[in-house]
Amino acid sequence: MAAHTPWSPGPPAWKDDLTPMGAADWNYDRAAHLLTHAGFGGTPAEIQKLADMGLERAVRSLVYYENIPNPKMQPFVESGLWDPSLNGFPESRPEATDRAEKQGRSMGVENKPAGNRPVQPASDRFFYWLRATMLETRRVGYWWANRMLQTTHPVEQKMALLWHGHFATHENKVRDYRKMLQQVDLFERGATGNLRDLTIKVAQNPAMLYFLDAQYNVKGAPNENFAREVMELFTMGVGNYTEKDVRECARAFTGWYFDNLTFKVDAAKHDAGPKTFLGRTGPFDGVDVLKIVFEQPVTADYLAGKVYRFLVRDELSPELRKKLGAVLRSHDYEVKPLLLAILSSKDFYSQASYGGHIKGPVEHMVAMMKHLGVESIPGVPDFNQSTIAMGQNLLNPPSVAGWAGGKAWITPGLLIARGNIARDVLIPDMTGFRDWNFSAGSDDILGRRLRDGYEVGAATAVNDPSNMSAFDRVALERDERFNTRISGYTGWEQAARKLIPTPRHAAGFDLTKMVVESGAKTTGDAVDYLTWRLLRIPAAPEMRDALVSFLTKELGTDSIDRARTYLEDPLRMTAHLVMSTPEYQIV
Amino acid sequence: MRLGAGGIGFGLFGGLGPVPHVLNQASLEAATNQSGRILVVFEWFGGNDGLNTIVPYGDATYYKHRPTIGIKEKDLLKIDAHIGWHRSMTGMKQLYDEGKVAIIQGVGYDQPSFSHFTSISFWHTGAPNSGNEYGWIGRTAAAIDEAGTRQNLIVNVSDSQTLAVKAEKHVPLVFIDPTRFQRGVFAQEKPVLDALSAGRAPVGDAHKYVQEVTRSAAQASEVVRAAWSKYKGKDNPDLRLLDLDKVAALIEADFPTRLYYVPLRGSLFDTHVNQAAPHDRQLLYCSDAIAGFFQEMKRIGRADDVVMYVHSEFGRRVPENTSLGTDHGTAQVNFVIGNAVKGGLYGTPPNLTDLVLGDNLASTTDFRQVYASLIQNWMGADATRVLGQSFPAMGLFRA
Repeated sequence: MAAHTPWSPGPPAWKDDLTPMGAADWNYDRAAHLLTHAGFGGTPAEIQKLADMGLERAVRSLVYYENIPNPKMQPFVESGLWDPSLNGFPESRPEATDRAEKQGRSMGVENKPAGNRPVQPASDRFFYWLRATMLETRRVGYWWANRMLQTTHPVEQKMALLWHGHFATHENKVRDYRKMLQQVDLFERGATGNLRDLTIKVAQNPAMLYFLDAQYNVKGAPNENFAREVMELFTMGVGNYTEKDVRECARAFTGWYFDNLTFKVDAAKHDAGPKTFLGRTGPFDGVDVLKIVFEQPVTADYLAGKVYRFLVRDELSPELRKKLGAVLRSHDYEVKPLLLAILSSKDFYSQASYGGHIKGPVEHMVAMMKHLGVESIPGVPDFNQSTIAMGQNLLNPPSVAGWAGGKAWITPGLLIARGNIARDVLIPDMTGFRDWNFSAGSDDILGRRLRDGYEVGAATAVNDPSNMSAFDRVALERDERFNTRISGYTGWEQAARKLIPTPRHAAGFDLTKMVVESGAKTTGDAVDYLTWRLLRIPAAPEMRDALVSFLTKELGTDSIDRARTYLEDPLRMTAHLVMSTPEYQIV
Repeated sequence: MRLGAGGIGFGLFGGLGPVPHVLNQASLEAATNQSGRILVVFEWFGGNDGLNTIVPYGDATYYKHRPTIGIKEKDLLKIDAHIGWHRSMTGMKQLYDEGKVAIIQGVGYDQPSFSHFTSISFWHTGAPNSGNEYGWIGRTAAAIDEAGTRQNLIVNVSDSQTLAVKAEKHVPLVFIDPTRFQRGVFAQEKPVLDALSAGRAPVGDAHKYVQEVTRSAAQASEVVRAAWSKYKGKDNPDLRLLDLDKVAALIEADFPTRLYYVPLRGSLFDTHVNQAAPHDRQLLYCSDAIAGFFQEMKRIGRADDVVMYVHSEFGRRVPENTSLGTDHGTAQVNFVIGNAVKGGLYGTPPNLTDLVLGDNLASTTDFRQVYASLIQNWMGADATRVLGQSFPAMGLFRA
């Protein structure tokens, strides 16, 4: 257990000091701090490797990762749910069925020429894609989480996760997993590149164009949604531009749209006239205004602060933010020099940066796997269900502002969920598990009724018609030519038939082996090993005592050697207890 | 009506808690701030289009501004010769006809922000174009219970804590899914877990915060879950209460909570594009949920004790945009609902001719006037203290 270096936060005076830490101050604990914040933590072997490199080489190996082989990265395997007839998918069910009523067909399906509910195929088709893209998006999230875990470029994945929350779009509105996948790829490729380039690519990304209504932003009638958010949330921050700037900016983006997965500009809908934007006047287009945005010093401060808060600690002083902004600006918005400066700095290793960051749920889940030495994200518990329970639905941030992060990650409900998910990983409920991809939720009852021989009307009836809400009345009115409730169920069934199942294996790890190989002789040694391996804030003596007495009681002895053949589950419970503490939520 | 809830019991004795009080210091204190009265804030985030919610059909200017998405007179549930409810809102209209809804038009603030996030933060703090570390609900809790000793005075049904409930001393109970609000532990782990939660010196601010929340979670989760499992409304498939069902469950279980905050998730009121269908649906869900909630309050016997307040972060631009939607705007319509409310129309309807700030409504009522009325006249707390200045009350409640 050479790695038992003590917890080593640097002196408080290092706070806000961006000069590099001295090579002599490097040790195992600081390597663990580095890998935890720059990536998702690591196994003791991964941390030791960085510790052996020295500070400068360790940081450079993380930031300049391009030449490091990354053999486990595999492209996403699609289930084959999409076909070209779904291009131009209607924005709502009424639009889908109205189109079918007018044209006799919609989304590649014909209306029935006679008989009951002639427009039912269109309604079913609409719900099919709604379910299909949602289910496939879950698979994209799971695939991405495995990349975060298996990559040899942890900084790349960590930064891609940052940009996903920063340039936030959600599948709920975009309704096309392919566009979300395209975006994950964009964030990965641009993770540590130039931020001006990344922002321009985001502005031309089909998911973003759709999400912020670009297709409706046309000459003579600008739609301000994108123009406002690009300045308020993506680059400058509120208060640094006027309402007039928003309107002028919207004009510059007119005519930008997408066709399927490709960015396009419609010259006829673009307003080529002069605009006055942030004090400059010219016939600007979208790229021009973004370039002007990146000439504003506040943009560098805003973005550098965002990177810092995501990686290091939740609070930073305005002075530090300005210093970081200056670094970013002096390197023309290249991210790597900024990362190098942050991760080498005394500030990064100062006491304030130790325990100042509450892990986000996705980060937390991937880090948990690293701590346990797990090599692929388990299928039980379900990855997405787990992070949703903890407050983060990958590819579905709650709004264009992304996840608030910091203290917002912790509420009583979410904190309890963290402990429960830890147990689900450590001691999975293999026999009780139900795959939510193959349950239509509240529509399951429709399936049961239909298979029991109910007519459509009876199967979808509300339980107590006398208590009918306005919702039901409207549903009834609209259901004459199709029944949307049946479609909700049928769509799920049709999508699930094609969906590639997610593997449902438990997390693979062996705590007995780890503890025994650590040389632990007593339950006290075992607890010391586990807390050292799992926590970035050392266990208080009361916590240690409680865990040791728990483990001793469970084993019936304090001898690890004596209990060797039945160690595993008591060790797992001990780990569950550790992961339920406030200390485990923080790095 | 259990305990003769409402009119009879609470004036003097504050007798709605699980254990009847005797007249001691605590109950006197409780009586002075109207113990038993509950405020539920239902926030419609996204920027609700007030002009298509309470529709000024009598004003031809409305149709000039909205030739396509303006709602036709025949589709409205009329209130008077000038305005009408959006037709999705049969539930709200019913409550209005019973005299239980105050419709407040033209609510906003000076120098309005068009940003969702900035504007909602002004509403959360009650400090427009300024700031406050704590939310207006959090500060109201402080005015009700100075010492900060009452547990679970604030409940926030949300997946993350809303700024409005942030309080100096009170730890708001924040949860979204009662069925998951439970520590999954094996029997032998249970006593250890409690010991582990016992505090150690925090290494910093984030750590201290997580420790506090851990303590709050430990004491609250069991009672919330018990309340939910006993709640009768959850077995009624015809009730669609959105997240108001959790509030109903806690009220049915006689929770000590006086302030509930329920933000609607998902920015569903942000109707830039083709707004008719989504806005119809959204108003339908919300109106049904509110009507269902008060139906539940009646069943539970607490309808006299509960007032609900509905607001958004802003209204929308007066003229429609070319995407058959509307962009971010200013003044909005608010609702205050409950048996205790003196139903009717409040505030000056905004003028559709003299628009300001690029085609926007000039607000006629500062939202803090509504806050002041709720804090002072309903919760019995000192509104001037909470808001930092005095606002005239609006007379929203029955005597």
